[in-house]
Amino acid sequence: MKYPSPSSAEAVISVSGLSRHFGPKRALDEVSVFIPRGSVLGLVGENGAGKTTLIKHLLGSLKALAGSVRVFGLDPVLDPVGVLGRVGYLSERRDLPCWMRVGEFIRYTQAFYPGWDATYAAQLLEQFQLDPVQKIKTLSQGQQAKTGLLAALAYRPELLILDEPSSGLDPVVRRDILEAIIRMVADEGRTVLFSSHLLDEVERVADHVVMLQQGRVVLNGRTEEVRAGHISAVLAFAQPPGAAPMLTGAHAVTGYGSEWRVLFGGSRTELVTAAARVGARVVEERTPTLDEILVARAGGKAS
Amino acid sequence: MGHGSRSGWQTPTGALLWEIWGQRKVNFAFHAAALLASLFSVWCIKHGADEMVERVLIMVMLSCFLGAYLDLLTCFGYIDADARKIQLGYPARLLLKPVSTLRLVLVPMLFGGAVVAIVLLIWNHWILQPLVHLSALNPFWLGAVILSFFWWMQALAWSLPLMPGRSLIMLIVAVIHLGVGLMPLLPASGLAGWQWPSLAVLLVTALLTARIGLGLMREGKWEGPPRINLFCSRWDSARTRNTREKFGSTFGAQFWLEWRRQGLILPGVTAGMMFVILPLIFVVQQQTGEPARGADFIKILVSLTLLIPLMISSVMGANIARFDQLQPSNELPVYIAVRPMTNGGLVIAKLAMALASSTLTWLAVLVVAVFWLMVLQTHWLITQAATVPPFGVLAIAIGCVPLLMLLILYTWKNLVAGIGAGLTGRRWVVGLFTGWKTVAAIALIGLFSAAKFNDELRSTLRHWLPELLITALVAKVAITIAIFICESRRKVITPGCVGWIVGGWLAGGLFVAGYAGLICRAIHDSDLWLPIALGGFLILPLPDLAIAPLALAWNRHR
Repeated sequence: MKYPSPSSAEAVISVSGLSRHFGPKRALDEVSVFIPRGSVLGLVGENGAGKTTLIKHLLGSLKALAGSVRVFGLDPVLDPVGVLGRVGYLSERRDLPCWMRVGEFIRYTQAFYPGWDATYAAQLLEQFQLDPVQKIKTLSQGQQAKTGLLAALAYRPELLILDEPSSGLDPVVRRDILEAIIRMVADEGRTVLFSSHLLDEVERVADHVVMLQQGRVVLNGRTEEVRAGHISAVLAFAQPPGAAPMLTGAHAVTGYGSEWRVLFGGSRTELVTAAARVGARVVEERTPTLDEILVARAGGKAS
Repeated sequence: MGHGSRSGWQTPTGALLWEIWGQRKVNFAFHAAALLASLFSVWCIKHGADEMVERVLIMVMLSCFLGAYLDLLTCFGYIDADARKIQLGYPARLLLKPVSTLRLVLVPMLFGGAVVAIVLLIWNHWILQPLVHLSALNPFWLGAVILSFFWWMQALAWSLPLMPGRSLIMLIVAVIHLGVGLMPLLPASGLAGWQWPSLAVLLVTALLTARIGLGLMREGKWEGPPRINLFCSRWDSARTRNTREKFGSTFGAQFWLEWRRQGLILPGVTAGMMFVILPLIFVVQQQTGEPARGADFIKILVSLTLLIPLMISSVMGANIARFDQLQPSNELPVYIAVRPMTNGGLVIAKLAMALASSTLTWLAVLVVAVFWLMVLQTHWLITQAATVPPFGVLAIAIGCVPLLMLLILYTWKNLVAGIGAGLTGRRWVVGLFTGWKTVAAIALIGLFSAAKFNDELRSTLRHWLPELLITALVAKVAITIAIFICESRRKVITPGCVGWIVGGWLAGGLFVAGYAGLICRAIHDSDLWLPIALGGFLILPLPDLAIAPLALAWNRHR
C-alpha cells in the first residue's frame, strides 16, 4: 500500500526522514512524503498529529532540523522567494491583516506575484460575494476564509496548500472551497495538498491520502487503495467472548455478546483466517470510509 | 453567613467588581508600591536629600505617577481588546448576562471613576503638590476633567466598536476636554463661570452615550447608526476607486503595509503631545507670573521641540520590529511570512518606513511649533531673526536644513537601533539586548561623570579618545563584515541589501562628519572634528541593521 516514491524530478513535494520535537513532545517522527505533480493529496489525522507542523516545514516557516524538505526541488528555508512564489497557502488560523480592506489585501498580495490573474481574481471576488471596500475584521469566518482562498488562488500557483480550509465553516462555504479546489485541479499540472478533519471531503477530492498519527505516517497511498486495504466486518461467535476478541490485524473491535464489528487492515483472506483463529466467522463485510479508518486507527484496538 | 445566603460579592454588582479585582490584583499591588516609593521619596526630599539625588527622586516620582495613573485607567477601563479583529469594546461575555444595561454601564464607570479620582487626589495632595506649585490648577477641577475624559473614552471604547470614524470622534472629545480643562486658566475671564456647568454637561453626556451605545450593542447594532454607516461606506467606495490599481513593486507593497501600520504613529503622537503641552506651558507660565513671551518660554519650547520626538522615538524603537502591533505573539504573521520576498527586502521596507516616519515627524513638529508661536503671539521671534546680521530669515531657514536632517537621522537611528533584536521575535533576545544597551549606557555615563571630577582621567580620556573611537569603529566594521559573511553563507541577504545598509550608514556618517566640519570651522576648533565625525559613524547603527535579515530569518524559519 506504500505510495510510490517518485523521482525528485517528478515530485513537487519531497520530504524524507523529517523529524521535529517541541520540547519533550514529538511532533514529527521520520516522516517521508512524496507528492507528484498534478495530484491532490489529503493530509489527515487527529488533532496534534503533526499536520500543521508538516505544512509549516513545506512553507519554510519551520526549519528541517532532521531530515530534508524540498518543494519544487528547492529548500524552502534557503530559497523562500523561489518556493513561495509558486505556492498558494490558506492558513488554518485565517491569519489575515484585519485592519486592511478586502480590496487593499488583494492589491497588497498582487504585488508579490507577477503571474497574478486580475480577471480570475475579479471572478472569484464576485463568486465569493466579497465587497472590496469591507474591512477584513468585519468579515464573517466564512468570508475571511474566502478572502484568504482568493489571495491564494488568484495567481494560479503550481502548488496549493490548504491547512484545514473548511474548519468551522458552514456547508455552503465548504462547498465553495471544494469547488475551487476541484477547478484548480482541472488546471493541468497543478498540485494540491490539503489537511482536513472532514474525511468525506478528502474522499471526494483527494486522489492520495497521507494519515499522520502522533507524528508518524501510518497510511500513505491512493485513496481508493487505502480504503480497499481495510475491511469493516461483523464477526459472529458461537460462544460470546467475555472480553473484546484480540484479532490480529484489527484496528478497532466494538460490540458485545456474540456479534462484534471489526475494522481490519488486510485482505479478505487474512480476515477470514484471523477470525477463524479466535473462533469466529465473518457474517458481513464492506469497504470502510476514510472516516471509519481514521477513527479506528486513532481510537485504539478495542473498545 | 448561612448556606444559600448571598454575600456582597455574589450580587451582580459584586461579581462585576470582583472581576476587575481578580484580573488586576498585580496591577493594584504595583500601584501601591509606586505610591509608597513616592511617599518615601517625598520624605527623603523633605529631610534634606542631596540636590542631585533630589532631581533623580523627582523624576522617579513623576514616572511612578504617570505609569501608575495610566495603568489605573486601563484597570478600570473595562475594555476588552480583540487582537485578531484589532478592536476594543465592552467585554462581550458580559453583554449576555441577565443584568440591566444601566447597571453594566454604571458599575465600572462610577466605581472606576471614584477610584481614579481618589487616587489622583491622594497623589496630588501628598506627592505632586509639594513638588509642583500650581495654584491655578485646582486639583478638584483637574480630577473632574480627567474623570470626564476617562468616562468619555470608556463610553466611546465600549460602544459601537465597528462604527467607522470612531477614532476621529475620540480625537474631537479629547480636544473638547483640553479646551474645557484650560477654561479657568484662560485670560478671558467671562468663560470662568461656565467651567463647572460645561463639565457637568460632559459628565452627563458621557454616561448617556455609554448607556445608549451599550444598549445598541446589546441589540446587535455593533456598526452604529445605519446612516453614518452608509455615509462611510459611500465615502470608502469613492476613496477606493481613486486608489492606484496596483503597486509598482514588492518593495512598494511592503512599504505601504509598514507605513499603514506604523508610519503615522510617531508623527501623530509627537505632534499631538506638542500640540497639548506647548499651550499648557504657556498658560502655566502666565499663571505663575513668569514672562510667558520671554526667553524662558522659548527655551522650554526649543527644548521640548528637540526632546519630545527623540524621546518618543526611543520608546517606539522597541516596537518597530513588530509587523503587527496587536498580534499577541512576536512571531511573523503568516500573511507576511508566506510572501515571496527576501528577508533583506522585508528589512529594507521597514528601514525606509522608519526614515519616512522620522521625516514626517520633524515636519509635523515644525508646523506645530510655528503654529503655536503664531497663535501665542510669539512670532516676533521669527521676524526678529531677520534683523540678525548677516543671516536673515532665509539664510537661517537654509542653515537649519542640515540640522533638521541631523535630527531626522538621529530619530531614525532611535527607531531602528534595536531592530535586529526585535526581528528575532524572541522576548529573551530583546531583553538581553536591552540589558546590554543599559549596562553600556550606564558605564559610559559613569566614565564621563568620573572624568568630570577627575582631571587625570579627563586628560587621559581626551588624549586617547581618537584612538578609542577608531578602535571601536574598527570593531564595529569587523563585526558587521562577519555578520555579512555569515548571512551570505546562509543565503539570507542579497548584495543589493548589503549595498543599501552599508551605503546608508556611510552616507549618514559622512553627512555627520561634513556637518561637524562646518560647525568646527565656524567655531574655530578643528580638534573637535575627528571625535565628532568618528562618534557619528559609531552612533549610527550598522551591525544592528546588518544582523536584521539574519534575525528575521531566525524568526521566519523557526
